[in-house]
Amino acid sequence: MPSQPRGAQAELESTARLKDLMTAHFTGVDRAARQRTAPVAWCTSVGPVELLRALGYEVFFPENHGALLGASRVANETMAKAHAIGYSPDICSYLTSDIGSYLLEKTPLARYGMTRAPRADLLLYSTNQCREVRDWFEFYGREWGVPVVGVTSFRDLGEVEEHHVDAIVRQLEALVPQLESVAGRRLEAAHLEEAVARSRTCSDLWRECLRSSAARPAALTFFDATIHMAPAVILRGTAEACDYYRLLSAELSARVRSRAGGIPRERFRLYWDGMPVWGRLRDLARLFEQLETSIVASTYCNSWVFDALDPKDPLRSMARASLELFIARSEGPKQAYLERMIREFAVDGVLFHDALTCPNNSNTRFGLPQRLRRATGVPVLIIDGDLNDLRCFSDEQARTNIEGFVEQLEGAATVAAAPGSA
Amino acid sequence: MVVAGADVGTECVKAIVAGDDGKVLGRATVPTRGYFQACIEEALSNALQEAQVPATKLKSLFVTGFGASCAPPPAQSVVETACHARGAFQLLNRPMTLVDIGGRDPKVIHVDERGAVISAKSVRKCAVGIGTFLMFASRHLDVHPTRLMDLATTAEKPARVGSYCSVFAEVEVIELLRRGATPGEIALGCMYSVADRIMEMDRLESPVLVTGGVCEYFPGVVKALAERSGLPVEVVPEPIMAGALGAALFALDAARS
Repeated sequence: MPSQPRGAQAELESTARLKDLMTAHFTGVDRAARQRTAPVAWCTSVGPVELLRALGYEVFFPENHGALLGASRVANETMAKAHAIGYSPDICSYLTSDIGSYLLEKTPLARYGMTRAPRADLLLYSTNQCREVRDWFEFYGREWGVPVVGVTSFRDLGEVEEHHVDAIVRQLEALVPQLESVAGRRLEAAHLEEAVARSRTCSDLWRECLRSSAARPAALTFFDATIHMAPAVILRGTAEACDYYRLLSAELSARVRSRAGGIPRERFRLYWDGMPVWGRLRDLARLFEQLETSIVASTYCNSWVFDALDPKDPLRSMARASLELFIARSEGPKQAYLERMIREFAVDGVLFHDALTCPNNSNTRFGLPQRLRRATGVPVLIIDGDLNDLRCFSDEQARTNIEGFVEQLEGAATVAAAPGSA
Repeated sequence: MVVAGADVGTECVKAIVAGDDGKVLGRATVPTRGYFQACIEEALSNALQEAQVPATKLKSLFVTGFGASCAPPPAQSVVETACHARGAFQLLNRPMTLVDIGGRDPKVIHVDERGAVISAKSVRKCAVGIGTFLMFASRHLDVHPTRLMDLATTAEKPARVGSYCSVFAEVEVIELLRRGATPGEIALGCMYSVADRIMEMDRLESPVLVTGGVCEYFPGVVKALAERSGLPVEVVPEPIMAGALGAALFALDAARS
């Protein structure tokens, strides 16, 4: 076994800065909503946020709130409230967690002095991920009597063609008058270009951070990345996000130079496809660390890398970026992407998380894992669970499957190392 | 005139014999075993015996519940939700959210001021058997089902049993034991688990009344439901008999017409 530096990793110094950023973000949006100091919009996590930034909105991302509800396990209590008013347990558990949180006035945002997610003046969605986001926003549109606007996007795209981009651009253009009307100001081209430029910089820097795990050992595990990706989601289009990733990137580069990994010892490297199991993030991180296995890359954390964004052509590049997303693509481009990631990050295996309430982020249901295994020879594991609904996740079953998978990798490594093996 | 109603559940068959004023003359409960028809006959025979009425005097028999279709003619079957609503309304005479918690599929039934069912919702398919689950849990905790409640009272806090599915929840019980949770904590956790499944089904609006065998044998479920919903939850008198009483009242309607 190759020798590697050992010793538990000290927490990244950026983490303290991250906490400050989160506090500033949530208290800022909450203040704007309560004191009416700025228009407040809700936006889906890969929606056209740059339009909102350019118009001076304070922006709240409910999927981020969903993740916080899951990670704090408050979701277990709040979901039931949404189920009881007719939202099925089979639909997005972010949606049900969040709506239940609103109804119960129970939220992890309480640590920022909030009893609920902030009230919006407008809700802006893009269905490039799923239809649920629109249904989610329409609940609040009815509740608050505010406009719900958005982009009805394409799904399951093979190649992204110009006519697809044209259609999204037309929808983005059509949104502008209403966004202007609620904001009470006109959209300035220069402001939009600046927002897109900052989003692109943020995306590039975030990609750089993720790329640090191509090194061996990987500098940042998937579990840590799910925490550090927050600014890429909720502060995309701001200077603060860019500053944060400059700091994080520098720290990760230092880790790479000193060959310090995200876990003390890395025997195996895995790729994670699908949503995190938010309520079990820490347990799973601990399990993989015990197994000396690093999750070095993921589809999820790379979903906030937008190569297409171009400040010289803001709307068109925003449209293209929204369509090129992994989640919006058909099985062919998805497989090609995963094959590329397997090569780039030199992974020993791929773990697919089938999230019961998130079919759009579960790439296990049409034979993709099996095709990927045949094409690459890399073993795959599927675990059943959910992003927030822990009733769908069995700790024991997941642990047994993961331990068995790592044993399988050990067996393969032993065979490969045996004298006479090819 | 004498009529009867029977509620054929997955755990017990309940029978009630009533007089022409709707007053209960006899009642009986027998455990459900393989042959529903034999269980129905046994329960009915016991209820008639308590009422001291020969079977030949029966004017009408209505049957409800999971195994209602197994009752031979001239028994007529009637839907469960209507029977529970009718039985509870007869006893309490007010609008209510009625929660029927039986062995198989709990129901949330909204009843208006006339006793009519406004809406009724059963638990989803993958969560059926939640009452029966408590019986399974007793087996793993090595107590007779009637002792599960006593066991639960020994715990200060419930262990978390979170699965939808009764079978998975049973596996969770075994896992919790392995991890060192006490049998009392698990017993209490199982009761909270039943309350949690009910909370997900429909809105609960005051007053909330509960029928069914689960609340008779496992009153911890009622306490858990009150705590989870933040509402006062009452149990109707003789909760296990409410469905059979409703069936008997429908039988009385038929006999009178």
